[in-house]
Amino acid sequence: MLDVLLETVALAEGHCDYAEARRVDRAAEHVVTRNGEVETVDVHESDGIGVRVRRGGAWGFASAREPTAAGAEAALRRALEVADALPAAPAAPLAPVDPARGHWEGPCETDPFAVPLERKVALLLDAGEAMRGDRRIAVVQASCLAMRTTRALASTDGAACTQTLTECGAGIGATAVGGGEVQTRSFPGNHEGGSAAAGWEHVEGLDLAGQAPRVAQEAVELLMAPECPSGMRTIVLHGEQLALQLHESIGHALELDRMLGGEASYAGTSWVSPADLGRLTYGSELLNVTADATRPGGLGTFGWDDEGVPGQSYPLVAEGRLVGVLSSRESAAAIGLDASGGCARADGHTRQPIVRMTNVSIEPGDAGSLDDLVADTGDGLYLETNRSWSIDDRRLHFQFGVELAREIRDGRLGRVLRNASYSGLTPEFWGSLDAVGGPGDWRMWGVLNCGKGEPGQIMHVSHGTSPARFRDVQVGAA
Amino acid sequence: MSGVAELAERALGHARGGEALVTVSHERSLTTRFAASRPTQATAVDDVSVEFAAVRDGRVATATARGTDDDALRDAAGRAAEAAAAAARGGPGDYPGLPRPGAPPSPHDGWDHETARLDPGVAGTALRRAFDVAAEHGLEAYGMWTGGEVRTAIAGTTGMHVLGAVTDAHLKVICRDTTGARSGYAAGTSRAAGNLDAGAIAGAAARRAAPGERAALPPGEYPVVLDADAVGLLLEFLGGLAFNGLAHAEGRGALAGRLGMRVAAPRINLSDSPFYPSALPRGFDAEGVSKRPLPLIQDGVAHRVVHDTRSAVVAGRGARTTGHALAPGGTPEGPVPANLVLVGGGARDVDELAAPIERGIYVTRLWYVNAVHPQRTLLTGMTRDGTFLIEDGRISRPVRDVRFTDEVLRILEATEELAARPRLVSEAEHYGRRYATGAVCPALRARGFRVTGATPA
Repeated sequence: MLDVLLETVALAEGHCDYAEARRVDRAAEHVVTRNGEVETVDVHESDGIGVRVRRGGAWGFASAREPTAAGAEAALRRALEVADALPAAPAAPLAPVDPARGHWEGPCETDPFAVPLERKVALLLDAGEAMRGDRRIAVVQASCLAMRTTRALASTDGAACTQTLTECGAGIGATAVGGGEVQTRSFPGNHEGGSAAAGWEHVEGLDLAGQAPRVAQEAVELLMAPECPSGMRTIVLHGEQLALQLHESIGHALELDRMLGGEASYAGTSWVSPADLGRLTYGSELLNVTADATRPGGLGTFGWDDEGVPGQSYPLVAEGRLVGVLSSRESAAAIGLDASGGCARADGHTRQPIVRMTNVSIEPGDAGSLDDLVADTGDGLYLETNRSWSIDDRRLHFQFGVELAREIRDGRLGRVLRNASYSGLTPEFWGSLDAVGGPGDWRMWGVLNCGKGEPGQIMHVSHGTSPARFRDVQVGAA
Repeated sequence: MSGVAELAERALGHARGGEALVTVSHERSLTTRFAASRPTQATAVDDVSVEFAAVRDGRVATATARGTDDDALRDAAGRAAEAAAAAARGGPGDYPGLPRPGAPPSPHDGWDHETARLDPGVAGTALRRAFDVAAEHGLEAYGMWTGGEVRTAIAGTTGMHVLGAVTDAHLKVICRDTTGARSGYAAGTSRAAGNLDAGAIAGAAARRAAPGERAALPPGEYPVVLDADAVGLLLEFLGGLAFNGLAHAEGRGALAGRLGMRVAAPRINLSDSPFYPSALPRGFDAEGVSKRPLPLIQDGVAHRVVHDTRSAVVAGRGARTTGHALAPGGTPEGPVPANLVLVGGGARDVDELAAPIERGIYVTRLWYVNAVHPQRTLLTGMTRDGTFLIEDGRISRPVRDVRFTDEVLRILEATEELAARPRLVSEAEHYGRRYATGAVCPALRARGFRVTGATPA
């Protein structure tokens, strides 16, 4: 895969200060069943080249669908033309990087593309059937997906590497309708939360059919459940909801391009500034957050990012204090960091690398299991499975809704409440963290719909969490 | 145009047995971004996709080819057919078959030669003008210029053959001071890049980056003037929550049991109008079915929902596709209208809309909006880049961004007046294959807008 790319960057020498050529070969299969029908079987393949150049302070990027020398050369010419046509920008350095060489491959025990489609359909239909029965269930849906991406990168800084990542996931959902109300329950979570960098063995391990009756029963139960009352409450967040809270209010806020204003056009900026590094108190002393592109199973795990920077693990928040950011070569150099954080990632061959999360996780604490956490809580609310999410353009004011809430009374889970939401301000919320579950309940949650960039890019990331407790949080109905 | 048509015909020649539909889409686009009055990223795309849809015993499967050579096309055709056959082995499905050719797509003038040239010099000129205007106001410009051309051909074994070409262009400017405390937004969208006046757009953004301390607004219900960009985003959500024929048929939609009833103020007239003069026109949907104007809310009364072939089957009672398929065979999410047009009212501009308000807010733009309770059209989101207090009938001073949590249909029910001139608004979020959409709508004034929080200073 590398030959054409190496020829392309060799052609670029002398015409620009830096060039990289990237080939992305993707295969994806998505199957959806709905109400006993096979709703979607989609097999998607693509193979193309993207070329990015830097001339002075200007970037240019162009893509070619045909991964040929002619296609790559045309993309190079177009990238140079585009960079030249824009207003001049002052030259700025890129953080140094050792040449990326070799091949990396993610884990995959059972090749998902070798599993017969009939077997996948049967698994989903079985799970769907196990959710049916109650006439109030209007929709049952089950889905699975498999992806394989092979990337090759060459650059004028000496990169010549290839890597292959396999991703698999599955999930189910049931929607109940009745009494003027509509309620949905999902498993393992919303946002394709059942996805991981793994083979088909990951899907088999989810036990969708085993979870299905509970999912359907809870959807029906929610129809008749009382509305969640408003007020200041102690809340215990299930790991999946905590993962999205982490994604939105810590992960995105610590993207260095946002902190520098480079994303003000779309995704927004950040309430955190580069000057806060090492100084800012982000949350309570129980808050330890790590960016780890080496964690097995993570959707943000790789050998090198799309600038050829090795995948790495480093702390973002240590005992509540901000100690790291997510960076690319350009943004890292802009604030004087010695090296990039290895977070430049691109969505396919038609998009250029931008700063993205890898696997941003909250390290486990010492509060034991979810049961231990609830038992220790006294009175409060337990909130599970995200259903809506919104946060301001500085990642400061947020509101999340969940599929299901349960009262916690005297250290026990009580009645189900519907349409629960909670809101707050990022530093106050993380400052109210007073218990983090232990390693036994810690797991990675996949997010397949992280949007950023113009034109838009979808990135896959994972977040490791265990359940956690927060005090004095504003809770409301819907 | 002939390139995509010939490719579609060649691809269709590889289909074997049963019904098949081929969709060829050729995107050429250029997107340039800027921050602090400097260009930051530039992305040029030239990409062709060829997608096969195969139907076997009521089951539909799709496959996208990895290239345009005959081997890649044959392979994708085979994959789609095998997947459909595999799905059918579990029993027949409910898909009634690909639509037959009907009335040809209406002609439209949605393609502009100059825009299709994608001259990066045009983008460069727009950026320079935006930077200059921002500097004249002591501000810096952030934003994006994008232009694109998409040529589409659909060919099917049913005899379906349709062709379309559209262009679109969008310029967004956010003017900010160096601290970010002041920021104002303005944007323009058109079929033609030449219609985008970078100086005027940047000037409007600069004027909204008003100086002065931003006041804090406590939670509560306020009279509101929503500018067209904010209205457009609310309508986009309403399209999916209320007019989705699949959700409606399953009892999940916001208009379930409410068609024929008044759901908005009598002055609300909303339609899906793919050939409205300033809209981004579309001749046909993803199954090749011709589009036509459809009234959705007339004089405040809910009129109908939209369908693709599959949702029409679920709905029954003689329902037929209305040309709103987002993919051959439909999608699990269901069909949505993508050319919403809200008819204007009698107010000259936002100042006239604000005139009757003693104390309220003027919202230029919404951000990170999401559905909290879909059936109730309950949304939450933030204001951004220009939120103002209205005092004694005047848009008076900036306020901090606020969170709203409110129902779209309730806002439309509380609508008292609309501006006379609707305009095309778009978020220009081009994820995946480019498919430019936007709503044509005016600013409006509503009695109440539920503010549930605010950002700190």
